[in-house]
Order: sequence, then structure tokens, then C-alpha cells
Amino acid sequence: MNHSRRTLLRSATTGFSCLALQALLGEPRALASPEGLVAKAPPLAARAKRAIFLCMSGGPAQLDTFDYKPQTGSKPHPGSVFRFDRHGESGVQISELLPETAKHADRLCVINGMHADTEIHAQSFLQLHTGDRLRERPSLGSWVVYGLGTENQNLPGFISLNTSKSSIYSSSFLPSIYSGTPIGVNGEDMTAATIADVRDDRLSIGAKRRQLDFVQRLNNGHLLNDGHLARRNDERLDGAIRTMELGFRMQLEAPGLLDLGGETQETLERYRVGQKKEPIGTCQWSDFGRQCLLARRFVEAGVRFVEVNHGSWDQHKNHRRDLKANCDATDAPVGALLHDLHERGLLEETLLIWGGEFGRPGLTPEDGKDESGHAASAFTFWLAGGGVKGGHVHGKTDATGAVAVEGKVHFRDLHATILHLMGLPANELTYRYAGRDHRITGPEGGNVVTEIFA
Amino acid sequence: MVSRIRSVILLVSFALAGSLDATARADDDAAFFESKIRPLLVRRCYECHSSESKELGGKLRLDHRRGILDGGESGPAIVAGDSEGSLLVQALRYDGVKMPPDAPLPEGEIANVVHWIKSGAFDPRTDTPPPVGSQNDAQPLWSLQPIVDVPSPEVKDPAWPADPIDRFVLARLEAAELKPAADADARTLIRRLYDDLVGLPPSFDEVERFAAEFPRDETALARLVDPLLASPRFGERWGRRWLDVARYGESNGNDGLGRNPTFPHAWRYRDYIIDAVARDVPYDRFVTEQIAGDLLPFETPEERDRQIVATGFLAVGSKPAKAMNDEFDMDVVADQIDVVSRGILGISVACARCHDHKFDPVPTRDYYALAGIFASTETLWGLSGHEGLSAPSTDLHVLTTAPKVPPPAGFVETAILLESNTGLPKTIPPPNWEPGTPLAMGLRDRASPADCKLCIDGMSTKPGGAVPRGFLSAPRLPKSESFSVPGNQSGRLQLARWMTSEDHPLTARVAANRVWMHLFGEGIVRTPDDFGVYGDSPSHPELLDHLATRLMREGWSIKRLVRTIVLSRTYRLSGEADPRLLEADAENRLFGRRTLRRLDAESLRDAMLAVSGCLDLRADGGSVIRHRDILVNLAEDLHQTTDRRSVYLCYLRSSPPPELAAFDLPSFVTTTSRRDVSTIPGQALYLLNNPFVQKQASRMAELTLACETSDQSRVRYAFLRALGREPAKSEGEEALRLVAESLAASLSEGEAWALLCQGLLISNEFRYVD
Repeated sequence: MNHSRRTLLRSATTGFSCLALQALLGEPRALASPEGLVAKAPPLAARAKRAIFLCMSGGPAQLDTFDYKPQTGSKPHPGSVFRFDRHGESGVQISELLPETAKHADRLCVINGMHADTEIHAQSFLQLHTGDRLRERPSLGSWVVYGLGTENQNLPGFISLNTSKSSIYSSSFLPSIYSGTPIGVNGEDMTAATIADVRDDRLSIGAKRRQLDFVQRLNNGHLLNDGHLARRNDERLDGAIRTMELGFRMQLEAPGLLDLGGETQETLERYRVGQKKEPIGTCQWSDFGRQCLLARRFVEAGVRFVEVNHGSWDQHKNHRRDLKANCDATDAPVGALLHDLHERGLLEETLLIWGGEFGRPGLTPEDGKDESGHAASAFTFWLAGGGVKGGHVHGKTDATGAVAVEGKVHFRDLHATILHLMGLPANELTYRYAGRDHRITGPEGGNVVTEIFA
Repeated sequence: MVSRIRSVILLVSFALAGSLDATARADDDAAFFESKIRPLLVRRCYECHSSESKELGGKLRLDHRRGILDGGESGPAIVAGDSEGSLLVQALRYDGVKMPPDAPLPEGEIANVVHWIKSGAFDPRTDTPPPVGSQNDAQPLWSLQPIVDVPSPEVKDPAWPADPIDRFVLARLEAAELKPAADADARTLIRRLYDDLVGLPPSFDEVERFAAEFPRDETALARLVDPLLASPRFGERWGRRWLDVARYGESNGNDGLGRNPTFPHAWRYRDYIIDAVARDVPYDRFVTEQIAGDLLPFETPEERDRQIVATGFLAVGSKPAKAMNDEFDMDVVADQIDVVSRGILGISVACARCHDHKFDPVPTRDYYALAGIFASTETLWGLSGHEGLSAPSTDLHVLTTAPKVPPPAGFVETAILLESNTGLPKTIPPPNWEPGTPLAMGLRDRASPADCKLCIDGMSTKPGGAVPRGFLSAPRLPKSESFSVPGNQSGRLQLARWMTSEDHPLTARVAANRVWMHLFGEGIVRTPDDFGVYGDSPSHPELLDHLATRLMREGWSIKRLVRTIVLSRTYRLSGEADPRLLEADAENRLFGRRTLRRLDAESLRDAMLAVSGCLDLRADGGSVIRHRDILVNLAEDLHQTTDRRSVYLCYLRSSPPPELAAFDLPSFVTTTSRRDVSTIPGQALYLLNNPFVQKQASRMAELTLACETSDQSRVRYAFLRALGREPAKSEGEEALRLVAESLAASLSEGEAWALLCQGLLISNEFRYVD
């Protein structure tokens, strides 16, 4: 794609860059799209146009949330220690810790047979995001935007809220326009997190426009360089001119999206926006409500892939107390997000993905212990909207929930499935780097779990 | 440039849908071979059936394609497509011949071999056997061949070259029937030299002086270059480049669990690097000090301290959390192996932690030979923010000659850890050192060094046999006593000697290529940290060897190599060239012209400070976190505004200096010598709205208003200051109009002129260097 534009520039005999000329004439539509971000038609029929990944870091305890394991037989064994009930018409089992999510049981597609390669947090977290547990590789959101572009040229295609290290949202060897734009980093106060330098209240937009016009005239003179060719062939200069325009336009659109002032009090309360509590054990309050509400606003505005984060679900010592705190912190915002997307008719084309880097082994009820560890051989994800079956449970674990026994889904299968739902053949979505074609599903490739498609 | 290269190699696979089936199958076969068959052959069979075997079993070689097809004494080992008729399968099933002799393979592995043979026995290896005694599967990799000092070639235009370097470049251009671009003019050249050598723009007076002298007298060039090379600013500019290679950071970075302990003493390593580069410590010595400085003899306590601080190189790495991570110690070693192998040798060893490297000649044994060296070394990173779950605390080196700098009076740490169960402040153990004691991160040998056990699949729970401490088996250097590791030492000193041996084909080539890259924007090898099979091949192999030879011959002096290159004709070329050259060599792989370069994050900030008149060149600031052993994620914003050079900002991992973050800073988690050059909207937002940029614009406006009285002369002054040139007539008019319209829109005089000055500072002409 860059090729054709370069050829165009090189063959321009008038000695004038068309794109730069457009910059001067102020034709914003043509300008504001760094190429590669333009929305592309997916090669497969897409069931979902956009995705929100509700990333639950630390290893959520699946046996006390979605994978119900009652006691069987006469001998006590590990299983669920919180109460479960059937919900909705489908009767999906959901724990008492998630009453708001449970109201949407008929929209959830619960995958109970997830499994991963390692119980090391950092490695598994990286693998969940990139398919690789050791090396920096493009993140899922970057692959999606690489494959599909994005709908709103005034905003990045991939936004990651309350994110952690850059390897989690990096485009790695994919061009950096596919990189995630971070808003807030773990531990930062998410109530105030924003896109750096996105607004400037000192000067009016008119004054800034006049300034940018002056700059773009200088830039164009620099590009033309008395008729010499080399600079006009340098796409970076042209790209710099165009991204100045996109940045300028982001000032107009992004602050409004980040400002929740226009939302009703009722909405803010449903999402629990701004609800702040002291950390309880491993549970860090991260204004998850604001994250979820922003996620809704971003996908409404045409952002392709949004990730929100909450942690840590890594309850080693005070399992019951900390798990409850994590559920309390996330349940209502997730419920509100499901509700709003459904109400607004967006859920059909928006894929929600909930889960973490692995799960936890079950506790044995009433044996006095309140501790748990890591479990990568069985855990739970759920999907909703975006062309998946609602009120459906896929896969099964054994009687104690320790091992996935049916409908096993590895991260690479999950990645393949998500991409497929978005119209991208995961095993064929490749990028040539360091001498070979890379894909998120790695050398093994991923299996698309078609059984969960609606 | 990055995007351009990427766009060239971009493979939009959808377009190839028609041929996907066949390709996909070939890919699957290759993947199956690489993931299942090659590792099996290497692990189970090569000991007796490869070039490495002491005695070849049954005259059968399984380490190349023909060997396996032709077989040994008993005939062909496999018949492609016919697993039941294949001798190999019979032997694995202990049906007649029993292989491997000790114990049969697990059923799953045998099944893989059966599947492989049934589906055609795809084998990407060569037909020709690797020479006996050679590394498994070694392709003749160019970078492992000895460096050859080739005489510079004949050229048709002998008047053009100013240095042998130019003959190598011109010969290639002439062979392609191309002519190099014209020389750049003096104004372009001085700006280029200032940015390349010291990372600052020249003042307008300096530009004028050079523009007057150089056309009359070419020796003016050397008179310009030498003081720049001698300037402390050179150490800052080129030191920063090494700090990228050293993945230098002042905190651990997110440990995977959101915790990010500070490294309050890391800045001493930064200052060591800046000083060593400014003093032009020979590169072999420079490398040796950083790997084994604590083991080197010293004459003065200052020298001892300096060498100890140098070993911070291997202690400032980013570590994953210790909590629940049995592999923690080996993760630390993995980072050290990676920074040494890619950072200095330009070859990746990391994959060999889990399996023999599939393409580069690096078997798992090599990895664990190196691992033994670092596992026999104690890494001193300090207290890890008093959070043992992130990393256990370690000792630190106490410096004897650095001044004691206690925290300022009344200093109270505010970022205090809370007990996760009670929510109460954790009790922090009393420090081992008096407050203000000069401390350094670094290395020291363990009391009892030991070889490392090979870990199958990279898991320490699956140990194999111990591998003697040593180096990579390729390249093979002439045997030397000084390379063998004594039982009572870690082997770091021997590793450094091996790497900096003049016979080593990689070290000097990698260093010379990087110098070239920093001066031309691209290296002769465009993957400066990967000289392996996956890396780029050199565009000018003889030139690279010529540079490497000169580097070593001139005492491993980086400055001399820089000087040689910037005085060459090739360095002086203009970016402008005739369409034929642009068309024929769009990527400029022949270096026939100059490629435009964007100021990097540090140069952009420093240039803005220089132009605003406020750059503070003092270098003795230590670090803003020097008294703070805390978790960055629990602290308020730790960055403080300063007018000092960017290299002295606080490079916290996962929390980079906000004044630099928009412009492609690396993550500082892994080694890199070549930064991305992305063009993304976050940069535009920074230029338009960041308070730092606006502040420099206001300062520049104040200067402009104070120094000149008429509007015309003020516009002229602003252009001279920012761009080093007079405004064109139309530009002057545009500038005046911007100021007038801003005043009409009720901006103050200062605001209106600041708006103009900012416009100049964020223009492409300011941000890109020809």
C-alpha cells in the first residue's frame, strides 16, 4: 500500500506532492488517515466488527465464578466454595459473587476448557496477549488492526486502558501505526488517566489552527525543496505532515470521548464510575467502571479493539475475601457494559472477551484452608456478542476442575477464534519478519472453535 | 525508513489466497519438522550420528538430508512415505536393531517420526554433509567467517575518493553504472555533523563561520570535527547510544505483577558509560570492563570503583517477578546472555534456552555453557523497593572514592509499602549502609562457581547433564589458553577475552557496523543486532571488514573510526540526487546519497532547549531517585522538569521521561541499537500541546522580543535561531501574518510570538536533518 503511494509520488511530474498539496488546501478526509489504518473489508464474513477485551490479570478463580464444581461422593474434594445458581433461560451456572453479570447469562458463551502452557504469570500473560510467552511479539489488538484497519480515522485503532508493560500492547515488528495507545498504566489513578497531551486549554482551537497552517506551509516548502526530488520521495516527511493533521483532529474528538460529563448520573452509577475503595488484599481498585464506560464510548466512536484491565485476581492467601473484592470491583461495570451494548444494538457486532492468563485450583469446602495457587491446565474464559452463542457453555473439566477434559481451548485456539469472528483467517494472517512469516497462532497454528458460533 | 523497509517486506497474505493451500501445507510440514523432528534428532540421535560424533555409529549420519536418505551400513534410514518400511522406525520400535540403545523413545516421539515419514519426510536441511567435527547443520554464515582485510578496489574516478572507504562505496556505484550525489553544502554539513557527533544544533554564528571557511579551505572540516569529538557532548551523545544497547533503565520495569522497583544507583553506570565514551576507552577494554570489571587488576581505588561500576551492565536488567517463579534465577541469566550475545556479538542465543537454535548455529549446549558463567556470578541489583515478591534483595558494591551524598535534610520517603493482608505499612528493615553511602549495582563471582545443568525445554525442573562453562561453539577461534575457564572462576574474564580476541569475527564487525549506522542512518548490515541467518546480509561486505580491521588496528578506538568516516567523501554527500540514482537505489543501500534523518527523542528535546537559550550543560546531577528504594507504581510522578541534557533524565522502565516518550524510546527491557522511527499521532499531540515544547517556545519568544525591536528583525532572528537560516520572503510574510492575526485574536505579544516560535520548533525542517 505504501508502495503504490510512493510510486505515485515518484511519478508526479509536476514537481509537487499531491498529498502535501491536499494538506495545504485543507482536505481533511484524505489527509487524516495514516495509510494502513483505513478500514478494510475482511477476507471472511465478519461476525464481529470490533472487540472489547476485559482482561482479568492474575488468574481469576474459575471454580468460584463460572465453572461450578459441587461436592460429589462421600469424600470432600476441591471444588467451588461459593454458592452457584442457574441463571436466565439457558440456566448457565454462575456464582453468587457475580449477580450483575449473571443477569446477562443468556448472552454469555462460557468456555470452561481453557488451558495454557505455563503457570508463570508474566509468561502466560504475554502469551495471552501475543501468542508467545518469551519474546515481544505483536499484541492481539495490533494483529486485528493490521488485518482490518479501523473505522474512525481521528482515533487510534487499538486502545489499551490501565495497561501494563508495553510488550502487552506493542505492535512489535508490525508497523507502529498498529500499536496500542495506552491510557493509564497499572497502578496509575485511572480516574484521571488520559491520552498524553491530547488537550491544551491555553489556546483556542482557532489560534492553533492558524499556527498549524503556518507550520504546514513551512513543511510543504521544505518538502518541495526548490524542486529537488529526494525529500518528496521520503514518505516520512509526508507522513509527518499527515499525522500533524490527525493529531490536530484527535484534539477535537478524543477529549470529548474521555470526558464523561455528558453521561447521566444514572449511567455513571450503573458503571460505578469513580467508585474508589482502599485495596483489599490483591484487589487494586482501578476505576474499572470508568474503563468500561470509556470502552463503550470508544467502540461507539469506531475504535476497533479496546482492552480494559483489572487485577489482581492472584489470591493466594485470602481467597474468599480477595476474590469477593475483585468480583465486587468488576461485576457491576461489566453488567452495565453488556446492558448498554445490547440496548444500543451494538452487542451483535461487538465481541466481548473476559478472562485472564490462567485460573486457580479449587478449595476444599470447610477444610479450614483459604489459600489457592495457579492452574494452567483448566480455566475459564467467556465471550459475548459478536456472533457467539449466548447462554452456552463450551468444554468441560474433570470433577475437581483441575484438568480440562472436553472442548479444550488453548490461547492459540482462542486467538484463532477471535480473529475468525472478526473476519480474519488467523493462521493466514501473517507478516514477514526476520526471514519468515509470523502469525499470532505460532508454528502450531490455532483451531477455530466453530462450535461456539451462533 | 523502518516503515519503508517494512512496507517492502510486507506480505499481504490475503492476496495469495489461491496458493494458500500448497503454501500452508509446506508451512505445516516445515513447522512439524522444526518443532518435532529436528529437536528429536538432535537430542536423541546426533550424539552418535552426526558431524559431532566421536565415533559414527553404523556409518549413519542423520544430520543432513542425504545422510538420512542414503543411510549407513544397513542401508537407507527412511523411505519417504513408507514408515513401516523405514529402518529408522523399526529401530525406534526395538524391532531388530534397537535405537537409541539405552532405552526406547516414548511412544509419542515414535509416533511423530512415523507421521513425518508418512507425510513425505519433509526435510529442509542441506544435502551436503556438514564437515566432520563441525557444528550441527552449520550453513556457511558470512558473519562467522574470519575478517579479511581486502585492499580497497580500483575505481574509474580516482579523484572522487578521499579515503579508502570511498573506493569501496564508489566501486559498487560504478558497477551499477551510477554516480554518487554531489557534496552537501557547508550549512547542511555542519548541522549534520553537530547532530551526529554531539546531538545538538550548531549556533547561527558557527554555521556562518563554517559556511565562509569551508568552500575556501577543506581543512576547515577537520578543524570543525576534532573539537566536537573532544567535547564532553560527544560522550553524552554516543554514550546514550550504548545505553540503548545496554537496555539501561533506572527501575526494573513492570515485573509482570504491576510492581516496578527503582534502581537508585543505576545512574552511576550511566555516568561511567558517558565518561568512558568521552575518553574513548578502547572498545575491547570497554566491553571487558562491563563484563568482568570486578575481576580486572587496578592501580588506584578510583580505578577499582570505575571498573566495578562498569559491571552494572549486567545488573541493570529487567527481571520478571520472583513470586511463584521457579525460573527466576535462570530468567536473570537469560537476560545477561541476551544482552551479551545480541548486544556485543550481534547473534541471538535466547532460543537455545529451550531447543537447539533452528537456523543459527547455536545448540542448547552453548546456551548452558554460557549460563554456567552467569550462574556462577552473583548479580547485585539491590533492595528491589523492599518488595521481596518482585525480587529478593541483594548486596551492593560499596564505592570507596565516590563522595557520600546523604538525602537532603528532612527527607521522608512517601511511597511506602502496605502489608497486603492488613493494609498497614510494612516494616522496612534498617538499611545495611549509612544513608548516602555511595553504592553501585554490579557483579561478583560466587564463592563456588559451578557448571550449569542443561534444562530440557528450558524448565529447571527437567535437568539434563551439566555443560562445562564456555562460549559459543561457533565461531571456532584458534585455541588459546586464556579462553579456558579455571574451576575456581566464573569465566566472565575469559568470556570477555574470547569476545574481544582479534580473531573473533563478530565483535569488531558488529561495533563497526553500528558506528556506520549512527553516521548514515542505516548500517552496512541493516539488522545491527542480528548477524545470524535471519539477519540482513551486508551490502558491502569488504567495506565492513575494512572498517572492522581499521577499528582493531587503530587500538579499538571508536573515535578514530568516527573521525575517519565523517571525513570521508561518502559522509559528505548531499541528500539530493538525480532521479536515476533515486530510482535505481530507492533504499540507498549503496550509500550514493544522504538519507534524511529525524532527530531522535533526546536530540529533539536538547535542540529545543538549546534554541530556547536554556540548555543546562552540567552533568553532575546523579538521579532524582538516588535516595529512593521504592516501587515506582506506588509513587507519585517521579519525573522532575530540568533543563539538563536528556541523557540525564530519569529513564524509569515502564515510566519513561514524558518529555521523550512520544518519539520511539525503546522499552529498555531488551538490547537494541537501532530505534524505531515511527510517525504516529501521539507525536503530533506532543508537538502541539506538551508543556515542555510550549515552555521552550515561550522562552525563545522572550529572547526574540528582548533582542530585536522591529517585527521584521524579530522574525529574522527567530528563523536564524531555530533553523539557522534567513526566512524566505514568503515565509517572513506568513510569520508576520500569524503574529498579527494572533494579536488580533487578543493573544498577548508574548503568546503571539511564542505561537510563531513553537511553529518553527515543531516544523519538519527543525526535526529532520539532511
